[in-house]
Amino acid sequence: MRAKSILTLCDGPTCIYKNSRAIRDALETELKNQGLSDEVGIHISGCLGMCSKGPILIVNPGYTIYGGVTVQDIPEIVQEHLVRRRPVARLAVQEDHLYNRFFRIFGDVDFFGRQMRIALRNCGIIDPEKIDDYLSVRGYEALAKVLTAMSPREVIDEVKKSGLRGRGGAGFPTGLKWEFTARETGNEKYVICNADEGDPGAFMDRSAIEGDPHTVLEGIIIGGYAIGAAKGIVYIRAEYPLAIQRLEKAIAAARENGLLGKRILGSDFSFDMEIRLGAGAFVCGEETALIHSIEGRRGMPTPRPPYPSVKGLFGKPTLINNVETWANIPVIMLDGGEWFSTVGTETSKGTKVFALAGKVHNTGLIEVPMGTTLREIIYDIGGGIPNGKKFKAVQTGGPSGGCLPEEYLDTQIDYESLAAAGSIMGSGGMIVIDEDSCMVNLAKFFLEFTQDESCGKCTPCRGGTKRMLEILTRITEGNGKEGDIEKLERLGQMIKKASLCGLGQSAPNPVLSTLKNFRHEYEEHIFQKKCRAGICSALVTYEITEKCIGCGACRRVCPVNAISGKRQERHAINQETCIKCGQCFTTCKFDAIVKA
Amino acid sequence: MVTPLDIIKKKRAEAVARIIGRGYLSTKRVYVGMATCEIAAGSKEVMEVFRQSIAKGGLKDVYLSQKGCAGRCNLEPTVEIVEEGKIPVKYGKVTPERARQIIERHLKNNEVIEEWLI
Repeated sequence: MRAKSILTLCDGPTCIYKNSRAIRDALETELKNQGLSDEVGIHISGCLGMCSKGPILIVNPGYTIYGGVTVQDIPEIVQEHLVRRRPVARLAVQEDHLYNRFFRIFGDVDFFGRQMRIALRNCGIIDPEKIDDYLSVRGYEALAKVLTAMSPREVIDEVKKSGLRGRGGAGFPTGLKWEFTARETGNEKYVICNADEGDPGAFMDRSAIEGDPHTVLEGIIIGGYAIGAAKGIVYIRAEYPLAIQRLEKAIAAARENGLLGKRILGSDFSFDMEIRLGAGAFVCGEETALIHSIEGRRGMPTPRPPYPSVKGLFGKPTLINNVETWANIPVIMLDGGEWFSTVGTETSKGTKVFALAGKVHNTGLIEVPMGTTLREIIYDIGGGIPNGKKFKAVQTGGPSGGCLPEEYLDTQIDYESLAAAGSIMGSGGMIVIDEDSCMVNLAKFFLEFTQDESCGKCTPCRGGTKRMLEILTRITEGNGKEGDIEKLERLGQMIKKASLCGLGQSAPNPVLSTLKNFRHEYEEHIFQKKCRAGICSALVTYEITEKCIGCGACRRVCPVNAISGKRQERHAINQETCIKCGQCFTTCKFDAIVKA
Repeated sequence: MVTPLDIIKKKRAEAVARIIGRGYLSTKRVYVGMATCEIAAGSKEVMEVFRQSIAKGGLKDVYLSQKGCAGRCNLEPTVEIVEEGKIPVKYGKVTPERARQIIERHLKNNEVIEEWLI
């Protein structure tokens, strides 16, 4: 039977401390006593961000929020609200926060209930192509508040107070960046939104723009006001046609409504925006290369300092932030920097969006408070590994990040913890790997990507990644030799130290982290010529077991006639001629062919 | 003096009025996911089924809207049906055929199709 009501109980640390687990027991008992267990569902959520009012209990439909709930209150809530359908006014709290708006619709699904949505608060809730929809959910109120009652200085202080850090990957404190740009003199400054999302498997920025483009615009306009810029640019890759189309629509609608252009909302502040398309070079996500690309030059990084905050686009002070960073700004302005700083860990505040992919049941886009563990993400939200396979590693940070094995599953998501574990936060790619993947091959995949995308300006990155890739290829083809591992490590360290930009400096990370955590797989490849996952085809041998009934299907499918045998007798593979194409393996209906 | 905050509040009130004018207060609201990923999974065709059904008059008192991606990649295309006073219903892997059934069984006859729920 489908539940008529859903009770959501916060299971964040503060609420647990305030006795929420005893409340859960009391609720279950009370519902049973009243005979309501069937029609009322109890749902446990992650931190709901209302810690000061905890323990929090939300009743849906109706989205009634009860705060400061005690075990003694439970019979009253059940009797009054669930039986007599009259909410208990005494315990209800009024909340008009921006974050977690998705909760009314999705709060009862495990996948969503464990999340906290700040940057993605409207994604999947409103029509992204209608400014009316955005206005109706307090859209542009943060901008209006800033223009009505806050000085640029106060805006920057609010961002600093929030503890927000750059969501593009490096994690530089956003407030500081704003302050550095604001204190530069000169009347021409720029604001840039970096939407050049390039990590393989990452789609956070695309989804954010496609789901709620106005949030990003509002953040950028507020940034322009804070640093005294009159012009904003969204740099987005041409591969995102729908995101571009929705952004264009949003910019046009904002202009029509006096939210962009001269004297915004009747104030003295004027600001306008345009879109620049990137051609899809990975390196253009690096801020200096991105700026050169906008200037019409070849997208290549230049050394910093000078930082863009001092000398950026066209030599002018420039504030550049990532899409997700911008999307957080309106919430910080309306719900307050102080509230924002209560979410997350000591050093990393707020939430982080991840594109959860790979060998996990629920692949998708998630936003969780900082401090959530990898285990919670993979098993509670992601639903674990499909097909009963064993977890092997989780890759964060895309081609700049690393692979963490099982013993790191309880690592908390924050910039420092992930770095200490040997990976990085990155922009939000998260790939779950099971036992069927070969770590050497995976490292090779990422290195192929960075090698291909290396802009070629500095030698360590251009030549170094090439040499590393050659060694990796050799290893996966069964020609690895003693000393290869050490050579990879030496090259990797050298590239990290000597490369010009962040991409080169992080390019060896996938190799170095797998060398650290999965060294035995490299050793097996090199010394035993064995690939335990059976991925590196050159290292795989196929053999026919006694299960063979001699049907001859494999013999007929083999392109090099390496299989021989009489009808109804066990066949055999000639390893000399076998090219390891694997066709016999997939053809055999009797599981008689094994990979070794 | 009229402040930016006054202006935006007025704009919001107007926006809400326009949304209501589009039929937001209908008994049932239907949201179809329409981000690149959902469209790739076939949500445009699904949207078309709902649109046609409303245009032809077979479906009355329903507010239809697109939305961005909520994040359930492996279950796309997704369709939500929101009714005041009830727990919102979320369907996953909706095909045009399923959309037709959702219209007939859920929207017209109030039958929640349990096996397609997220």
